[in-house]
Amino acid sequence: MKHLKKVLVLMMAFVLIVPSVSMANNSATVKTPASELRASLDQLLSEHFVLATTYMMKSYEDAEDADQVWEKLDQNAKDMTPAIASVYGEEAAAKFEEIFRGHNDYSDGFVEAAKNDDEEAREMAEAEVDEFVNEFGSFLATATEGNLSEEAAKEVLAAHEEDVVKVFDHYVNEEYEQAYATYREGFQRMFDISKALSSAIVTQMPDQFENTKADAPAADLRSNLNALASEHFALAVLEMQKGYNQSADYDFVTWAENQHTQDFKAAIESIYGQEGAEQFEQVWQQDHINAQSDLVTAALEEDEEARKMAEESLQMFAEDFGAFLGSATEGNLPAEAATEAVWMHEEQVLKTFDAYVEGDYEAAYTSFREGYGFMFGIGETLGDAIVKQMPDQFNQEMMPEEMPDTGFGGTSDQGLSTWVWVAFGLLAAASASFIYMRRVNQK
Amino acid sequence: MKIGWRLYFTVVGLVAMVMVSYEMNVWTFGSETEANPDLVRVENVSQSLNVQEASSDDKREILDGEFTVLNKDKDLNDEKVVKDKEQSDAGIIPSHIHIPSIGVDAPVEDVGILDNGQMGVPEDPQASGWFEPGTQPGNRGNAVIAGHVDSRTGPAVFYDLKKLQIGDEIKIQDKEGDEKVYIVEKLESYPMEDSPIEKIFGSTNEKRLNLITCTGEFVRDRGGHQDRLVVYSKLKEPEMDQKDITPPAKVQVQGTFITWHAVREDYVAGYRVYKSKGGEDFQKVASISKHERKTFVDAAASEHQYYVTTVNQDGQESSPSEIVGQK
Repeated sequence: MKHLKKVLVLMMAFVLIVPSVSMANNSATVKTPASELRASLDQLLSEHFVLATTYMMKSYEDAEDADQVWEKLDQNAKDMTPAIASVYGEEAAAKFEEIFRGHNDYSDGFVEAAKNDDEEAREMAEAEVDEFVNEFGSFLATATEGNLSEEAAKEVLAAHEEDVVKVFDHYVNEEYEQAYATYREGFQRMFDISKALSSAIVTQMPDQFENTKADAPAADLRSNLNALASEHFALAVLEMQKGYNQSADYDFVTWAENQHTQDFKAAIESIYGQEGAEQFEQVWQQDHINAQSDLVTAALEEDEEARKMAEESLQMFAEDFGAFLGSATEGNLPAEAATEAVWMHEEQVLKTFDAYVEGDYEAAYTSFREGYGFMFGIGETLGDAIVKQMPDQFNQEMMPEEMPDTGFGGTSDQGLSTWVWVAFGLLAAASASFIYMRRVNQK
Repeated sequence: MKIGWRLYFTVVGLVAMVMVSYEMNVWTFGSETEANPDLVRVENVSQSLNVQEASSDDKREILDGEFTVLNKDKDLNDEKVVKDKEQSDAGIIPSHIHIPSIGVDAPVEDVGILDNGQMGVPEDPQASGWFEPGTQPGNRGNAVIAGHVDSRTGPAVFYDLKKLQIGDEIKIQDKEGDEKVYIVEKLESYPMEDSPIEKIFGSTNEKRLNLITCTGEFVRDRGGHQDRLVVYSKLKEPEMDQKDITPPAKVQVQGTFITWHAVREDYVAGYRVYKSKGGEDFQKVASISKHERKTFVDAAASEHQYYVTTVNQDGQESSPSEIVGQK
């Protein structure tokens, strides 16, 4: 009976601790150090993917803006260095920069090989990619002290490189539907890589991140919103450029946008249910996605009135979407603030497009990077509002990692299953009494 | 008294008109040069080219503005102009030109580039010359045929070219009798020294024929007329069979969007969207031009049915796509 008593005490303790933890902690937030790290990586890695695939398409077409895309791709790589330095120090950051910036050069190898139909050059480019995957994979494994295993690192890196090359190959072969399906997968993969990497770093140095988790539910929410918001911006900019050029793949970028709307709708549904999701879709599509395309038509037809109407639609969208977010989050994200943020985003879309039409590509891609980064603020603000609105769903930050070690094995010879049942029964009884006590208290 | 004033104004009006026409040199060249409203004299070629690109040449509206067709291909200096290999078999070696509206019925000879860099012209004033190093009639590009306006003794083959009007037909035949028909799009005259050679001879994605002759005053000490007249025309494509126009595929209702896949053919001008409540009595609700997003927005999309048709540049409409949406 001594053992049974011990088990009972521990069980009681456990049963009482869990709910009290989640009830006591009302400071639910997406703004934890671990979540910040993950969001930075989300932004830089996914932007890398967008710029890399865009650069390869532009370069293959000898587009006038290819050089500016390349500069921004390189700048993106440089921007990762401080993030790495803050965690691993200057020396590792320098090593990182050397490997990572260098790997952008391979994209030229693929483009040139495709332009000249040169199989040998293609094989060389592929060999260089393999080398990068190996080198960078072992760098990451070493830096994270194995928290991201070398094998896992190499696997995700190889998958990413394959995504980029596949998008390009499909594009060159004019298989646009596959190109953009792959684009969307490859984009999403960057967020998976970010999750794995940030979790490894946080696990490696828990103190630096105040014992917060990069893969906590709130961090997941923030990252998902980041992915949806930033993919929207990337596709919108691409769609408007392709539409303005009347590129053969224009209708497939709009297709990708529609697929993305479905995904966004599904995410809203998981939080706010079907009705909320349908409301979202109505607002999102009508004065927004379609209005952005109307801007392109207005530019093509040089129709200033149509342009004005499209801008007015977007303003209406900012109002409507702000109101939607305000009421969905029950004011945790005030409608006014939301409208302001949404309009800021639309202005960035307009600015990027206008600069592109004017042929000022430097301005276009500077504005692209600004607008892209801005989407991650939306993920943060909206994510935090949702978490504050439903703390129970997201506040599991203090959950124990593993079940407690509630036995010493001294009774195992008597048959484990009996004790499991006894424990279960006690647990249930304890829960019932706990709930009963709460009810009484509430009365 | 009333009649007196009416007479007075009539006389004054007539006198004014005579004076104005005198001022405008209407009588100077006699009845031959009745002003052809379609003929445009272009003094400063580089300037006028810019003006045109910014306006009418960039887009055009068909079916009373239901669809806008962008003419990005019309940029004659576009380096990306591609010669379509399949199309290049369609050209003919011209041997005869027939222009019914001005009674031209004449042989066509091959000409090349003269030593002084000019395009050659046949010796026979009654024959025209096709610029043989250039595009064959029927192909993508600018085919060029030149002819004399007059000989030393009188009118020559292209004497009446300036009387052509927009919409007139030009028929070109080869020895086997294969025929290409072109439709006149515009007439322009340029100073001899300042003609837009690139526009007349350069590459284009369209199938064009340009006729050249002399016009304007004959400057005796230079031994030539001071201006050049260029008639721009475009190949008349045979009308399509309605069943050859592909209706859009993958029509879908997604939220408030009705979307479909583009029909990737040159003949497409746009799409029409039809809507119905209950599956009968479909009404046209939208016309979407080729270059627009292939999307129709309807807040009540989930309660209706839709189909979409393709419309070609001659205004012909395909059969309906599949019907989508809920009854």
